[in-house]
Amino acid sequence: MPLLDIGYRSWQGERTERWTRSLVLASTGIHLVWQGVWIKRVLMFAVFPCLVAGVMVAIMEQYFEQGSLARAAQQMQQLENARQGKQMGNPMGINWEKMTSDPDQGRHYAWAFILYTLFRYPQVFGMVVVMGLVAPRLISYDLRSRGYLLYLSRPLTPGEYIFGKALVLYFLLFMISALPALMIYLTGLVLSPDSTAFFQTWDLPLRILLATAVLMIPTTAVALAFSSVTQESRFAGFAWFALWVLGAVIYQVLWFASTVDLPMTGGGRRGVDFEGMQNWSLLKLFSPYETLGYMQQQVFGLTSSDEIVWSPWVVALIVSVLGYGVAYWRVSRVLKA
Amino acid sequence: MSIGNSQPILQIESVSKRYGAAQVLHDVSLELPTGVVGLLGPNGSGKSTLIKSILGLVSIDKGQGQVLGLRWPSQVRELRDRVGYLPEDDCYIQGLQGIESIQLMARLSGLRKREALRRAHEVADYCDLGQERYRNVETYSTGMRQKLKFAQALVHDPQWVILDEPTTGLDPVQREQFLDRISTLAKEKGKSVLLSTHILHDVVKTCDRVVILVGGKVRLDDTLERLQRPSKEGIHVSVLSGAAGLAGALSSKGIESKVSSDGELVVLGSGESLSKQIWESSVEVGVVVHRMDRARNSLEQAFLDAVKG
Repeated sequence: MPLLDIGYRSWQGERTERWTRSLVLASTGIHLVWQGVWIKRVLMFAVFPCLVAGVMVAIMEQYFEQGSLARAAQQMQQLENARQGKQMGNPMGINWEKMTSDPDQGRHYAWAFILYTLFRYPQVFGMVVVMGLVAPRLISYDLRSRGYLLYLSRPLTPGEYIFGKALVLYFLLFMISALPALMIYLTGLVLSPDSTAFFQTWDLPLRILLATAVLMIPTTAVALAFSSVTQESRFAGFAWFALWVLGAVIYQVLWFASTVDLPMTGGGRRGVDFEGMQNWSLLKLFSPYETLGYMQQQVFGLTSSDEIVWSPWVVALIVSVLGYGVAYWRVSRVLKA
Repeated sequence: MSIGNSQPILQIESVSKRYGAAQVLHDVSLELPTGVVGLLGPNGSGKSTLIKSILGLVSIDKGQGQVLGLRWPSQVRELRDRVGYLPEDDCYIQGLQGIESIQLMARLSGLRKREALRRAHEVADYCDLGQERYRNVETYSTGMRQKLKFAQALVHDPQWVILDEPTTGLDPVQREQFLDRISTLAKEKGKSVLLSTHILHDVVKTCDRVVILVGGKVRLDDTLERLQRPSKEGIHVSVLSGAAGLAGALSSKGIESKVSSDGELVVLGSGESLSKQIWESSVEVGVVVHRMDRARNSLEQAFLDAVKG
């Protein structure tokens, strides 16, 4: 018994708006996630690449300032030509010509490329790891402990419940992708000796947000769908990692199989069509990594053609609708059991 | 908006629910007044489905009505802000401490963060959660989880509390305390309570009214007082032994009596002269009378009669 037993007391007060209830669910989810040591470590590591990219932007700006970027790009072009002679190609897919033709366009292209590289390589790996650690538990734990009964006996619909859970992942992905990218962009602005840099790059924050949305919406849908179909979070985690690994392997195998007719290099090795890998191919649909990467490439305006390729967008939309649909169906269905 | 004492808490008509081939609720029509109502029924009679339907956790096939003055089922989300629900299932939010769980439920019902925490401590005290409130809920015993669920049901100060098998897993002392809390809420704080249980003792101790659901149909809906009133007046006589001998002695004096299966006696009739005759007869046959009081029907009998139809 408490020292001072005051018995039951009535409560009268103003209630918050109903639309805020999903946010409560999300904030609790984030609070729970934050208790994990590994999540903190991964998030910390996710910020490190941002430092490297920041240094790259600073160096780039110095080149721009000294007018030596064109010279450097020409050297890079020569190096690339030398590589092409050995059938090594341009693995990063950098358009040196675009970077050096016009200083204004060059800055925009260079910054967009650095940001895209950040999204494409370190951050997407961070995303896969974080989602693999967090997402499988989000719904499956509630299914196992029947916590959904507690949530849904409050003024929450299954849709709001799913949205609240999705917000947890949106928050983490924002921390991994958008926040470091925006930090790089701001670093670039601050370190740029050219005061007009903002006017040449003002659209990049919007592109960062769009690229983050491209990353977060379909991946969250898939992760929540996996989490909702099982009470065992390890199965959902396994399915998540298997999707990314198998997708990448299948794509690589099919891609290399489709390029076996390329000529042999001087060293007797078979050449790889790196430029071709930067372009859209339906084979990329086998790999979430490649599909999302190409969509982000489009968002940052880095594709070789200005024409928009719609197929990855349509597939991402279908996957998102299916993912959220499965999660909704599962949560609605368990109530009937 | 609150409802007055004269208005029913719940008024539903023709509620039906089917799970595949199984018809779980058949045209259930019910009107519940304020106060404590016991919802009884054998396993699979549709009690939990009816409760989940009221809360909108299960969509009904047919039916409508009013609950707490709100249109039902169309205003079920508004309703959930005013109802506290203690589910039968063992359910908890993994990873949270007890107090955090209560606070979360308060926030989901619209209390602001700080106010929710203050209120959570208040109901944790009331529900006797003690220092265990700071432990993670997955480490709780069944009894502690029942207390936690009760605190979660009360934290937003609902008008109507729906308790589905609330005393499961509690030891006898905790159960009595729990029932006392329910009575306090109803009698002193004016809360209405729907108590779904198998334990008839809990109903007798706390409820004003009883609804018995059998096979998805309301088989009986009456006040407890009326259910316990026998069809004929009588005196219930507890004896140490020899009830049959006493019955014979009474019979020789023209007094009708019945020996119950547990060896006790119900003597039909009333008045002081009757009790005097019972005393005299017991002395004659050497039977020790342990207790005499007004005969009442047992709820158990009423329940069995209702189930048998």
